[in-house]
Amino acid sequence: MKTWQRSLVAACALLALFGGVAYAQAPGASPVDFPYTGNRTAVWIVAQLHILFAAFILGAPMFVVMSEWLGYRKQEPRYDRLAKEVTKVTVILYSMTALTGGLFIFVLLATYPQFTTWFINQFYLVFAVIYPALFISETILLYLYFYTWDAWKGEKKSRHIALGVLLNLVGLITLFVINGPTSFMNTPVKAEGVSPEVFLATASLWDKVANYSWMPLNLHRIVGNVTFGGFVAGMIAAYMYMGAKKDEERAYYDWMGFVGNLIGVGAMLFLPFMGYLLAYELCDYDASICPYMMADQLSMFFEMQGAMIGLMFLASNYYIWLSMKRIEGADKVRMTILAPIVMVLLPLVMTKVMTDYPVPDPMSLAFLLPLILAPFMLGRFIPYTVSARTVIKVGFLMVVVGDAIWLTPHGFVPTGAKMVAELELPSDWNFLALMPAKNSAAFTLVFVTVVNYVIYNRAIRQGTIVWGKIDFVSQFVLIFLAFSSIWTMGLMGAVRSLLRKYYHTYNLLPDFTAESFTPTLSSSAWWITGITVVFFAVVSFAILVTLRPSDSKGHAPEASPVPARAK
Amino acid sequence: MIKKLIIGLVVGGVLVGLTRIFEFPVIFQMMFFGYAMLGAVVFMVLDAPALKPMGGIKSVIFVVAFYIVLCTVYIAGASIWPQYDPQDEKGKIDKILKPKFDKTQQGKAEELIARAKALDEQVKALTVRLKALGGDEATKGPAVGGSGAPAATTGAATGDFMKLGEEQWQLQECYNCHKLKGEGGKKRGPELDNIGTYLTVDEIKLKILDPKSYMAEGFEKEWEKGKMPDKYKDLMEENDVVALASWLGTFKNTAVPTPKPIKKK
Repeated sequence: MKTWQRSLVAACALLALFGGVAYAQAPGASPVDFPYTGNRTAVWIVAQLHILFAAFILGAPMFVVMSEWLGYRKQEPRYDRLAKEVTKVTVILYSMTALTGGLFIFVLLATYPQFTTWFINQFYLVFAVIYPALFISETILLYLYFYTWDAWKGEKKSRHIALGVLLNLVGLITLFVINGPTSFMNTPVKAEGVSPEVFLATASLWDKVANYSWMPLNLHRIVGNVTFGGFVAGMIAAYMYMGAKKDEERAYYDWMGFVGNLIGVGAMLFLPFMGYLLAYELCDYDASICPYMMADQLSMFFEMQGAMIGLMFLASNYYIWLSMKRIEGADKVRMTILAPIVMVLLPLVMTKVMTDYPVPDPMSLAFLLPLILAPFMLGRFIPYTVSARTVIKVGFLMVVVGDAIWLTPHGFVPTGAKMVAELELPSDWNFLALMPAKNSAAFTLVFVTVVNYVIYNRAIRQGTIVWGKIDFVSQFVLIFLAFSSIWTMGLMGAVRSLLRKYYHTYNLLPDFTAESFTPTLSSSAWWITGITVVFFAVVSFAILVTLRPSDSKGHAPEASPVPARAK
Repeated sequence: MIKKLIIGLVVGGVLVGLTRIFEFPVIFQMMFFGYAMLGAVVFMVLDAPALKPMGGIKSVIFVVAFYIVLCTVYIAGASIWPQYDPQDEKGKIDKILKPKFDKTQQGKAEELIARAKALDEQVKALTVRLKALGGDEATKGPAVGGSGAPAATTGAATGDFMKLGEEQWQLQECYNCHKLKGEGGKKRGPELDNIGTYLTVDEIKLKILDPKSYMAEGFEKEWEKGKMPDKYKDLMEENDVVALASWLGTFKNTAVPTPKPIKKK
């Protein structure tokens, strides 16, 4: 896409934004009836697509600039190449973000004119001034960052990296700003003893933005975007690895896949806790949200989420396993016996401790921290060690156990109202369905993954990585992780929106349309899959256009089999 | 491969046996067997031979096929879980939102149109009756019912009012936190079978509208954190709150350990 084409897309998006705001002021606009999907699903599709593109263009620059900085610091061209290639894809997807954003506003205005007018009026300054200003700044910075890549190298590289940091700062502020209205729809400002309508009339813009779920949503989305960006970078690498014709290209894309996965998994480790924090704040805002999520209409959505996260942790650890296989000398790596012991004990001990000292009681840390740190602090004093292979295999066993705990429901019913004994856990085992057990499961998955990366790190220090020789199935693992993380993001996005129940803005502005019900998990899965497929088709096209093999001619060989410790 | 499959089957069998001993329902026994088989598959995949590299059109076909498999598995996976029936919710939502909708401009207009239509229908029916029977017959209409009618109406009204209270219990999903008649509740809130012994209808109403007004014994943490939502004064109509409070006030089962409410305001 040429510069004028990109500018046209950006101009269209801005026109849509301002036109939308103007249209919203038109009195008496009546809603259209969207064919086939219905109005709500039409908004869902466009909004979710927009969020997916936006998540990538905010998440990718974070590790792009980190990669560029690493390349500069280590004087390794492959980091710089990775950063530039991902930026190329980001630039194309930036246009898609703007396009879907404009489309989102038009669809929203056409389908829910009264709500949209009310909503824009509530956040007029954000929608008409702050957000467009940030969007324009981000556009300028992104294109400047991309087009100065080759010009600002050598001594000017630090200037380019600083520009990247600035781009990320503006991106983050944009995310924080737009999360204000988004989170407001879930947890509008309120005060004890005052009706929401009355309080809203006196609330300032800051009151509305800094609502209960704003900061948890910010944190959740930052971590989610980095995870997402990492996994999509992994997918880019997988495509390119499959299309590579030379050994050095395969070596480079093998390395890129590893880095993308490392970033994706590294951020994913924090994701369950960020999700928990968001859910905790939502429940704190209104305790009736909690049973709606976990025990009632949306409980099976969380079962599906548990299954997805379990599969993703299995896949990410499997990728480490495959990566270990291409390290010559990895079989000599050993680890303290405390590591597998703690892995096995963790779900049991943590469930007990967190039952006795529930979140946020800090007493639980007095028991859990020593247990978790024991392999790393005391390991060197214990003479018994086991092979890396054994530790990883015990780890896989515990990932399966963790998945099982996470997935075990209180009952096989779509709503607590339909609970019967034949579908319910025996009361003595009900603890398996409670939060302490779920927390212990999540933590076991995270702990196993961290231990596996520690082992991997030891292996690359003691052995030699043979880049480009990884088992080919690993490329499908990378694609799987990207697809599954996006699918899960779609699922949880649907959950967050559905938490508003039959309100546009929870407890404040009811949705009187016939579509304001909780859809089935099955029909939701169809739409989420469709949205994910469309997103993947566009991203795949963007990769094909920007990074097709003919473009990669002329690169110096960035990666060749060398002892890793030499780096 | 075979060895791992056999181990998976043995572990699955042991889990099914144990869950049977501990009286887990069949569906959970199957689930635990599924976990064992998942473990077996994971260990089989770990030691599977390496996949030969592929390129060109073959890799494109494999990737597309892989996406098709993923889509199918995710849709099928989501469809095998129990599905919530939106019809269960639609009736509830209509009842909850109707009073709010009626208050809106559009609601008022629609109500007026509906009333006008109903009046029009009545006029038409009366006109037909008048034509068929004559003016005297038509004037006798309002006298139907006699002196016993008001008493019968009062009894029916009381019953309807209690029904409305029970309906509010369902609509506001109070059962998600409170146990009543042995149903619902996850210990989030106190069991309410004996609440009528401790609180009057007005006091129950006060607790619903202002959750901080009373604290159930043993629920100090929940009360301090304001676990009971302070939203019903805005969401419920006055009549609905009175109906719910009146219905709850009829629960005086002293055999159930309903915690004693302590007045806080």
